Amino acid sequence: MATINATATISSDIASYPVTISGEMTMTKSANPSVGLEETTGLRTKKFTTTTAAVIVEHDELTDDKAHKVYIRNASANRANFFYVAYNASAAAAGTAETIGKLYGGDWMLMPYNGNVNITVASSTATETQMLEYMVFADGIVAAKG
Amino acid sequence: MATTAQITITSPDLMPGSALNIAPPVVTLTKAGVNADLDQKLSGVIKVTVGDPTEHRLGPLATEMAGDAHDIASYLYIKNTTTEDATYYIDWGIHETMIGRLYAGDWMFIPWNASDDAAEIEIQAIGGTNIIEYCLFNSDVILPTAA
Repeated sequence: MATINATATISSDIASYPVTISGEMTMTKSANPSVGLEETTGLRTKKFTTTTAAVIVEHDELTDDKAHKVYIRNASANRANFFYVAYNASAAAAGTAETIGKLYGGDWMLMPYNGNVNITVASSTATETQMLEYMVFADGIVAAKG
Repeated sequence: MATTAQITITSPDLMPGSALNIAPPVVTLTKAGVNADLDQKLSGVIKVTVGDPTEHRLGPLATEMAGDAHDIASYLYIKNTTTEDATYYIDWGIHETMIGRLYAGDWMFIPWNASDDAAEIEIQAIGGTNIIEYCLFNSDVILPTAA
């Protein structure tokens, strides 16, 4: 088994009392929460030059109903542009079931993922190139069929 | 007012011979498409029980958020602080579609655009009562009219 640690630090002075959230976790398996995840699809970087939606995580490569984690980051700097991120069987990512949110330039997300349906994205712009980083920490990868 | 978010993901042994160290720059979370800082937040600590109802809504509906507060850049942090049993988890999703399992001790951070009332955050306790902490940034919630 592997040891994968994830830490989020979120700081805000929206309120008169500053808020600092420090979330720490070690990614573990669903069947045995004391055993660490040990598989990954690898860290990928993809350039988007159109608004055409695309599947970035194919659920049939992963075991269903597990404790996968998905990390996604919009590696572009422009806060005016974003990626729609969705949990959807088809490629569509905007205004569909189920669009999760908009990942603006520099934003990142880390979410638990059951592996039952694809993860899709769509860039908001075709005039500016956007870069996306993503990685699945898997609780079971299905070997590709020959 | 500024709200910043940073993540690090490390592993010395996930990929043998190549230690993993994901540590992107700190990002300042802003309102959609602009550089204006977020200025609203909603947070709490709640017990999520098993049973009727099985699924619970976390946070407001789109129509409970003022003006352009929905369908833009909101961010949601949830941590499952349950310690009773490590096999307990929160099933989370959008509307009635469950997307993942937030196990005891795990956290998640997502953008949420709340495009309409059918894009609400739903959670369901599995195994037993789960305790979660949550913080939703940029939720311009409309307060109910007083009776």
